[in-house]
Amino acid sequence: MNTPTVGKPLTRVDGRLKVTGAATYAAEFQRPQLAYGTLIQSAIANGHVVKLDTSAAKSAPGVVAILTRENTPGFKPYPDDLTKKGAPGENRMPLQDDEVHYAGQHLGVVVAETFEQATYAASLVRVTYQAQSPIIDLPDQRAANTATTPEKFIGREDLQVKRGDADGALAGAAHKIDATYSTPVENHNPIETYSTTAEWEAADRLLVHECTRGIKQLQRILAACFGLPVEHIRIICPFIGGAFGSKGFQWSQTLLAAAAARLLQRPVKLTFSRSQMFDSAGQRAQTEQHFTVGADKNGKLVALRHATTTHSSPISEYTEPCGNMSRMLYSCPNVDVTHRLVKLNLTSPCPMRAPGECPGVFALECAMDEIAHETGIDPVEFRLRNYADRDEHQNRPWSMKNLRECYERGADKFGWSKRNQKPASMRGRDGSQIGFGMATAIYPAAQQKAGATATLNQDGTVVVRSATHEIGTGTYTAMSQFAADTLGLPVEKIRFELGDSAFPVAPNNGGSWLTASVGPAVIGACGELKKKVLDQFGHWPNERELSSLSAPIRSEFTSEPNKEERGKFSFFSYGAIFVEVHVDIFGQTRVKRATGVYDVGRMINPKLARSQIMGGLLFAISTALFEATIPDQATGRVVNSNLAEYHVAVHADAPPEFDIDFIDKPDPHMPDLGARGIGEIGITGAPAAVANAIFHATGKRVRNLPITPDKLI
Amino acid sequence: MNPFTYSRVVDPNEAVTGIAAKPQGKFLGGGTNLIDLMKMGVETPDALIDINRLPLAQIEELPDNKGVRVGAMVRNSDLAEHALIRSRYPVLSEALLSGASPQLRNMATVGGNLLQRTRCYYFYDPAFPACNKRNPGSSCGAIDGYNRIHAILGQSEQCIATHPSDMCVALAALDAIVRVRGPKGEREIPFADFHRLPGNTPQRDTNLEHDELIEYVDLPAIPFASRSHYLKVRDRASYAFALVSVAAALDFDSSKKIKAARIALGGVAHKPWRANAAEKKLIGQPADEKTFRAAGEAELAAAKGYKHNSFKIELAKRAIVRALTTLGGMA
Ligand SMILES: Cc1cc2nc3c(=O)[nH]c(=O)nc-3n(C[C@H](O)[C@H](O)[C@H](O)COP(=O)(O)OP(=O)(O)OC[C@H]3O[C@@H](n4cnc5c(N)ncnc54)[C@H](O)[C@@H]3O)c2cc1C
Ligand code: SF4
Repeated sequence: MNTPTVGKPLTRVDGRLKVTGAATYAAEFQRPQLAYGTLIQSAIANGHVVKLDTSAAKSAPGVVAILTRENTPGFKPYPDDLTKKGAPGENRMPLQDDEVHYAGQHLGVVVAETFEQATYAASLVRVTYQAQSPIIDLPDQRAANTATTPEKFIGREDLQVKRGDADGALAGAAHKIDATYSTPVENHNPIETYSTTAEWEAADRLLVHECTRGIKQLQRILAACFGLPVEHIRIICPFIGGAFGSKGFQWSQTLLAAAAARLLQRPVKLTFSRSQMFDSAGQRAQTEQHFTVGADKNGKLVALRHATTTHSSPISEYTEPCGNMSRMLYSCPNVDVTHRLVKLNLTSPCPMRAPGECPGVFALECAMDEIAHETGIDPVEFRLRNYADRDEHQNRPWSMKNLRECYERGADKFGWSKRNQKPASMRGRDGSQIGFGMATAIYPAAQQKAGATATLNQDGTVVVRSATHEIGTGTYTAMSQFAADTLGLPVEKIRFELGDSAFPVAPNNGGSWLTASVGPAVIGACGELKKKVLDQFGHWPNERELSSLSAPIRSEFTSEPNKEERGKFSFFSYGAIFVEVHVDIFGQTRVKRATGVYDVGRMINPKLARSQIMGGLLFAISTALFEATIPDQATGRVVNSNLAEYHVAVHADAPPEFDIDFIDKPDPHMPDLGARGIGEIGITGAPAAVANAIFHATGKRVRNLPITPDKLI
Repeated sequence: MNPFTYSRVVDPNEAVTGIAAKPQGKFLGGGTNLIDLMKMGVETPDALIDINRLPLAQIEELPDNKGVRVGAMVRNSDLAEHALIRSRYPVLSEALLSGASPQLRNMATVGGNLLQRTRCYYFYDPAFPACNKRNPGSSCGAIDGYNRIHAILGQSEQCIATHPSDMCVALAALDAIVRVRGPKGEREIPFADFHRLPGNTPQRDTNLEHDELIEYVDLPAIPFASRSHYLKVRDRASYAFALVSVAAALDFDSSKKIKAARIALGGVAHKPWRANAAEKKLIGQPADEKTFRAAGEAELAAAKGYKHNSFKIELAKRAIVRALTTLGGMA
């Protein structure tokens, strides 16, 4: 028997491939006879196309085809479940009419022998529009006319929730705050831009290389839109260079690349430029969140009202679910959570890292800081006084909750007791203002159906397969660990394969549910394999026995969430995050220290886990201080659609060290390993911790992100 | 990117003859700005003349203690790290190191840095219909648009763009001289006359002619520049253009009163902004916060902000005070 690897800080099994450049990303697949596509995009944000003149583009060197509304075949509609109310992605089929709903909308594709030729030719396309002034701002009256109050988030979570009588309780509250927080549009900006290579292997068989974290979903989308059986579509995606919520759902470029490839009868590659990452396939919606919170004289919450206004594009219903955690993070008898959706002429929003929870918990945790300040109670103490011992929204016990320990250990490690409660009371030697801030982190621990196969080969290796994804989080590694431990083999004997639609079902990679979903499938398949092998040999076969195997031994397993358990308990991961900021006389904020303690169930691989949280915290610093996609008011075009002007945190913005710690107790109600998700939680709460620290440093409460120098001087 | 021809020259005269024959042609330095703009379709040269092999990559002392001569092809990182620069003109070294990223500084040349174009969003993306600098007569998209990074001094109704360079702010404070070669021979352009204010011709950033090649930048000897400093305020800790920056040098007399001052501001105007009014205020005064604040107030008296950039006015004053305080502390 080998010693188990779960719980050990294994280095990524695909690390060498990545650092040597040998890992093949979507845009790097070369196909015979490949042609290159470039998008033709709308310069206006609202109106319609009157004329699309491609004459000059057609005669440009190297051009082989131009796909526009005129020569595009009618696509069949997207699968129903993907366009039902509130679903992310777009419900309008591309190139089916002349309407323009946002700047950058795809109006066609120019295909040429080289990428450069295609790009140049696309610049020669002349489009005439009938333009209307775009609706860009949440408060715009024309936007208000489109307002709705959606009932559910992607058909799942309740978006309008009432418990008790918030109005009544507020009227009698000893302490009250009333504040509006806002968060801007943000873009995912993974380093790898979108890329699709579509190739028709036969008139009715389509092969697609694309960076997608929804292999099975994309397969279904293409099958539906081209009217083909699902198994006639093959999607390949062994590596994804980051996603953060992008690279899922239905966007038009995959259909356009496939349609162009069909028209041309040759493979077509369509890769986004950086600026297209800002207008072509999803972003985080802006939000405006109004909080009214009441507490009694002992600092016990009596009422919490959280009213969110957010937007979608005219061709999507996706709603950023900001209020979900406000329903239950704290114990409070009177809760009122609402969501209001308006339509703006901005790129269709979709999930971005911790959709809803990131902006929502930012606002919630700032509101808690404000009411704690109002009542004169230390922010950690305030949270402990309002600790929820059960999920008051679903009225269920937690599957497991060690948040109290997170607060206590975090405060201790950080040195929270050295905090002078008075704002603007601490100064550094260089004259900068020093602030300590904290917040709670929380993220749901979901699980989905997933399958895997395991095959023992004559050479003694075991190949495990599932149609899951590697977005950089460490799927190859964690799944190899599960397989190795289940079989009692060294990790080197395992080859985990993913990223192929021919493999067994796996869910979209999102919601931090990958490990908890695919893990049990891998463990199940390997368990079955082991049983089969032991049945046959009575022991694990040696080399000689293996080489005499007439055929590989194979097993398959599909795991499903335990409905009964999931209905009985409420599943979340938690954390407490503490930061120290320094703010100078120019309003420049630097995060000097960050301590986070997280309760995410059992640690599968502490090294990967730490990296996930560190990435989340960097993202959170970025969210708090830098990130904002800014549309021009007159035209609706993004003004800062590049990485020089859209700021994400760089190395110099990171604190010298992240002090990250885990409770590391298995959740008894999570299947097999007791591991909950660990992707998105890092970005929740932490932006509020930074904002709260800035308040503590300066006495200035900035409620609209990002907190740039102009807001502090 | 539009189609263009590419050629490489090894001799400055060849470069000048080459560019004179190509009215739409451009020199290619490090390419860190030009290639970007070509990809965006903002610059559409029909010919690139690569000047990377010109023998203009030296940094040398001028005879008779006249200062230091810097070749136009010297890379920003080499200039920043050069011993002569670090000891005699620390402000220049600090300015360079505060700019861009190590990779960009390794490519960027002195000539190219002088001629880098504004980062105004509306200029950078030709899909915006209005930009007088890119398309004269099309109006200014920024003046009523998003203008957080725009000018507060010396702007015109036609253009409120800023010059983005850090290096040039230091050069403005140091009274550098730009030495150029054209078809008719060589000429010298004092730094203050190199970049232009927008006025009615925002399409022209500088007074360099199309067929002129920058060969050198001369740094005059300024003994007190060994006590000089560059301060940059920005949105993130690195890899961001200046919201506001200050290049400054101070000289003191025996009674610790200010004898001479050189101050230039970045991020505030269409050109590196020499702060003459502030300098005047300082002469003969003690080096204290009150003096520095008065200098800042004097310089910014004429400043005008727009919807998103008015904060730069106070920011610039504070930056002047802080930069001068730092230098005062070295006295
Ligand atoms: C992401 C990013 C961030 C940046 N951040 C900063 C920053 O914080 N601070 C800062 O100051 N800069 C910053 N820069 C700008 C950078 O400094 C400039 O791009 C660089 O200095 C340009 O030099 P180059 O040699 O690459 O010029 P090129 O791009 O090669 O040329 C620029 C122009 O100069 C002309 N030219 C070049 N050499 C000569 C010559 N000898 N004679 C005549 N004409 C010539 C070219 O024809 C062209 O028009 C940043 C750039 C990027 C891309
Ligand atoms: S500020 Fe200058 S560069 Fe910017 S849009 Fe106006 S004219 Fe163009």
